[in-house]
Amino acid sequence: MQKILIVDDDPLIRLLLEEILTDFNAKGIQISTADNGLTALELIKREEPDIIFLDVMLPQMDGFEVCSIIKNDLSLKHLYIIMLTAKGQEIDKKKAHEYGADYYITKPFTIQDVIRKVSEVLGASSQ
Amino acid sequence: MSKLFKRTLIIMIVLFAIIAMTTAVSTGWNLYNDLIAEYKSKGSAIARSIASSSVETLLNREPSTVQAMIDQFTEILGVSYVFVVDNQGEIISHTFVPMIPREIIQIKNSTLDTSRDVSIEGKGEFIDISFPIVEGTVGVVHVGMDKGIIFSQLRAGMFRQLSLLTIIFIISVVFAYMFVNKISQPLNKLTDYSRKLASHDFTATVDIKSQDEIGMLAETMKSMAMDLSEVFERYELALKDAIVELQDTLAYLTAVIDNMADGLLVTDTDGIINHVNPALSLMFHMREADMIGKNCRDIFGIELFELVEKSRKHPDEAFTTGIKLAGGKFGQAVATGIHKDSLEAEDVHEKGIGSVILIRDITAEKEIDQMKTDFISTVSHELRTPLTSVLGFTEIIEKRLEENIFPLLKPMDQGVIATIKRIRNNIKIILSEGERLTALINDVLDISKLEAGKVEWKMERIQVQDLIEHARFATSSLFEQKKLEFRQYMEPGLPEIIGDRGRLIQVLINLFSNAVKFTEQGHILCQATKSDNEVVVSIADTGFGIMEGDLSSVFEKFKQAGDTLTDKPRGTGLGLPICRQIIEYHGGKIWAESQPEKGSIFSFSLPVLSALPPTKGKAGFLHYEESEIQL
Repeated sequence: MQKILIVDDDPLIRLLLEEILTDFNAKGIQISTADNGLTALELIKREEPDIIFLDVMLPQMDGFEVCSIIKNDLSLKHLYIIMLTAKGQEIDKKKAHEYGADYYITKPFTIQDVIRKVSEVLGASSQ
Repeated sequence: MSKLFKRTLIIMIVLFAIIAMTTAVSTGWNLYNDLIAEYKSKGSAIARSIASSSVETLLNREPSTVQAMIDQFTEILGVSYVFVVDNQGEIISHTFVPMIPREIIQIKNSTLDTSRDVSIEGKGEFIDISFPIVEGTVGVVHVGMDKGIIFSQLRAGMFRQLSLLTIIFIISVVFAYMFVNKISQPLNKLTDYSRKLASHDFTATVDIKSQDEIGMLAETMKSMAMDLSEVFERYELALKDAIVELQDTLAYLTAVIDNMADGLLVTDTDGIINHVNPALSLMFHMREADMIGKNCRDIFGIELFELVEKSRKHPDEAFTTGIKLAGGKFGQAVATGIHKDSLEAEDVHEKGIGSVILIRDITAEKEIDQMKTDFISTVSHELRTPLTSVLGFTEIIEKRLEENIFPLLKPMDQGVIATIKRIRNNIKIILSEGERLTALINDVLDISKLEAGKVEWKMERIQVQDLIEHARFATSSLFEQKKLEFRQYMEPGLPEIIGDRGRLIQVLINLFSNAVKFTEQGHILCQATKSDNEVVVSIADTGFGIMEGDLSSVFEKFKQAGDTLTDKPRGTGLGLPICRQIIEYHGGKIWAESQPEKGSIFSFSLPVLSALPPTKGKAGFLHYEESEIQL
């Protein structure tokens, strides 16, 4: 079963992503959420979701740190990480790249952006 | 001894020598002739008396008597010898001792001349005077007068004369000395006096009261000295005033410089520090004495030295750089070349005499800038999150309505159709305004970063053609929507430029979309040409154009040309200001021309590779990074 994890401290953003991804949920893809870095890390280690939406600004442990831990863990390295950032600054893009994130979505995003990317990743991994 | 006297003395000696010689020769000659004549007459008188008194004795042949008689005559001064020759030509008696000299035997018979010169070896010169006795029938008497006596008398005479002349000469020299001194003493006094005047000693005076030319000269000099001293006094006063004024001005200038809040640094053309003010010492926590005379490179580092170099090479421009101050503070240094306004030196480098650098503590400004950027960054972040929800949920609502609700409604109901239409419209407005808000947030963040110099530039070699193609591709949908034709003209052989590819494409996209936004029909022409050391890109449209009053402010923040239009296309009002920031960072210019109702032309220039000036002013990072982040 394919899994998607949404990590954001803002409940509205979590809800929005969940809403956007309802169609995938309906198709049997499991969607879970986390509101801080540490919980997210535990969940990731346990569940190994196919796609992780990872916000940068998180309580307890920020998105970059979570990202670098996952990407430095051989058993988790393959997980697809989409960083969510509100800043859109080059420095964040660069950082995301350095920490090994696979994709980068700037807030505000359109639902098409999210749906296209998720279909693409899940389609590729299910094949 | 005065020079005048020396000269006089030489002339006197020469003259005296000539006079002495001439008189000596003439007197000597006269004396000689007189003495000869005297001796001759004396001799002939003696000879005559011997002749007349010796007739009988001769006739009687009594030589011993004759001998006794002639012996007496040799007692007479000047008579050297006497001899008597008989009519046979025999010397019958003579006074020669011990024998008759040879020379006498030769002349004993000569009777023709009454006198002749005889030189007797070992005895000297004589005048031989002969007198016949009884018409020569009895014999001849010869008397020899000693010439040596004549000579010694001549010598004595000459000596006396010369001694006299010498005495006269010495006396006249003494007189001459006194006389010359009388003339030269006042002259010497005048010389001393004029020397003192020359060394500006106007208290000196000269004591000459004579009525002659020298006296007049002295008087003239005295009055001249008075005039001079007056003039000097006047000039000295004027000079003192000028010095005081100059000192005041200098003190004023020094006070101004010393009390400046900004640090001041003056260097010569080699970068050697000539002057600093207290503010500068304070900024760098250094003593003035530790800086003066040193090279600014050693004290303030290479950046400031390069600034000095630049200002020396381009004296008409001001150059700025950031510099670290003591105590973790930041300063901004502005350097300008100091050059003399002399027409003689044609070369600007010759005119240059150094650089003046002003350093301002911009720590506070930097902090404020930082705070502003941080604030804008935070605000934009805080705005984005709710905006994401607004846009996201609106989209979801739209999707759900389209997919789940609208199909369920009865399509026959006109009221429902109208409501559905209105709802669609309203949702579109929410979405487009949300997008505009997003763009605004992005642009505000962008321009605040550009203005604060916080943008990381990726400078690389670029073909202008490549930029235009990318921008054209990115805006192709806009052109299609409005059905506008895109034309382009590229001058062949355009040189490469150096710039941030993404940023320059951003400029072009902005200008293209502006052109499309303000044009309803016609075409948009993009031209790229080369002029001098620049590439000029211009985008001309056939749109509304811009009112002349708005033209100057289109590059200012939140000043949209559309403000004056009723049917205004919406934008953030930051697009052109961002374009200006980007182009100016590249060392280029951006400008707009327009004719209302006919269209506008927006152009920008970029320096070509070879003519690229060093980046100045804004703190930027000029580095060549080829790799772009691909996520």
